[in-house]
Amino acid sequence: MNSTLLLLIGFAVLMLLLLVWVLRDPRKHSGPDGDLDSTDELSQRHVSYFPQVRQALGAEDFAFLSSRGSLQLARRIRRERRKIALAYLSCLRGDFLKLWRLARVIASMSPQVGVAQELARLRLRVAFSLRYEMIRIEFLFGFAPLLELGSLSDVVSRLSIRLETAMNNLGERAALAAKLASSLNDGHGLDTR
Amino acid sequence: MSSFPLPVLWLWACSVLAQLVVLALLFSKGNSRKLPYFTAYVALNICQAGFLLFVYTHSWSDPDTPKTLAWTSECLTLIAQALATIEILEIILRPFQGIWGLGWRALTVTSGIVVLLVALAARGHWGLARWFQLDRGYHLTFASALIACLLLVRYYPIPVPRTYKMLLGGFCFYSCTEIVVNTLLQAFFRKDFFLHLAAWQLLTMSSFVIVQIVWAAALRKPLPVEDRRPASSSDSDYQRLSPEINEDLRRLNEKLLRLWKLEASQQ
Repeated sequence: MNSTLLLLIGFAVLMLLLLVWVLRDPRKHSGPDGDLDSTDELSQRHVSYFPQVRQALGAEDFAFLSSRGSLQLARRIRRERRKIALAYLSCLRGDFLKLWRLARVIASMSPQVGVAQELARLRLRVAFSLRYEMIRIEFLFGFAPLLELGSLSDVVSRLSIRLETAMNNLGERAALAAKLASSLNDGHGLDTR
Repeated sequence: MSSFPLPVLWLWACSVLAQLVVLALLFSKGNSRKLPYFTAYVALNICQAGFLLFVYTHSWSDPDTPKTLAWTSECLTLIAQALATIEILEIILRPFQGIWGLGWRALTVTSGIVVLLVALAARGHWGLARWFQLDRGYHLTFASALIACLLLVRYYPIPVPRTYKMLLGGFCFYSCTEIVVNTLLQAFFRKDFFLHLAAWQLLTMSSFVIVQIVWAAALRKPLPVEDRRPASSSDSDYQRLSPEINEDLRRLNEKLLRLWKLEASQQ
């Protein structure tokens, strides 16, 4: 069997696997980040805790503890604070994923979807994931990459600004459509109220 | 007709019976009005079975005529299959105008790329097996375009009724098995063409019968009423969530801006 035939069979098998994956019920398999209905979750963003995390990872506290001679305590605190930073990082990712999913919902409701915009968001997702993994690895190896963590928060922020603009546009369009429908009803007497 | 092995004839009869059941369900449940192209596709398949019965029982002076006629009728059903699939995708994506527009572009690009790849792969091999090459090329294009559309539907959280999922899944499954069967048989039965033909018919017809059973199960109930208009149906949710999200995003942005100003001044 030559390579072309193998490639064709591989392609068909891949298509079948993709078909099974695509036709699964997404609600049954989505993680805890997938729920966009919870308004409490939406109103709470972990990114706002960055100053505290930055302070917790700052060198001052460790320098102070080391100067007092309690090196073991300094090491323990550093380890615990690194755990907190990792938890913060994970929450930041959750924030990002929620906003990203929300962006997809907004796009699906929009009467026109731009390919360039969608690709840009996909690129953003890839960039965020890569950066997230890099920072996570750095934390796991004992470094405190504050600058990278800050820029990761910035990615979430920039996405939120774009979403705000999109939401405003949608709101304006909906208001315009409602106004148009109302004026039509007034003009032709179609309003049943 | 007598040249076909008995299992193939039995399978053919089962296939026609299953198609008749699907057609009866389409009409009895009123689904034919919602899916006219799909109904036409099923009806066309039954007509093709009748036509093939005539072609294979009639004696022809040219031995290649039955094959040519059979494959020509297959072309028609394949076109009907593509139209029926587009009809279902259009029903799913109709309320999502933007995504439907994007879907069309994805469909065109994917199909174009696959057609190009198929043409390149089949270059110089258009001998006796040209019909099989064409058939496989079509199913490759069809399956990849359909998967591209379904991936788009999955990527944007668009709800797809179970019935439509089963219908589209059936089409895709059939195309994928056609690709595998055509490729495997081309590889293993290069010399024994008649054995190849019988095995090909047995395998492709089996997968088609499976698809018909799945479709019959899907069409037992009437299709869902089309009230999936996201703008109006989720209006209250949208009106409730929109200001909250806007406020939340604004707050988040302001905090970050303050934070970065602070960071910059410290550095």
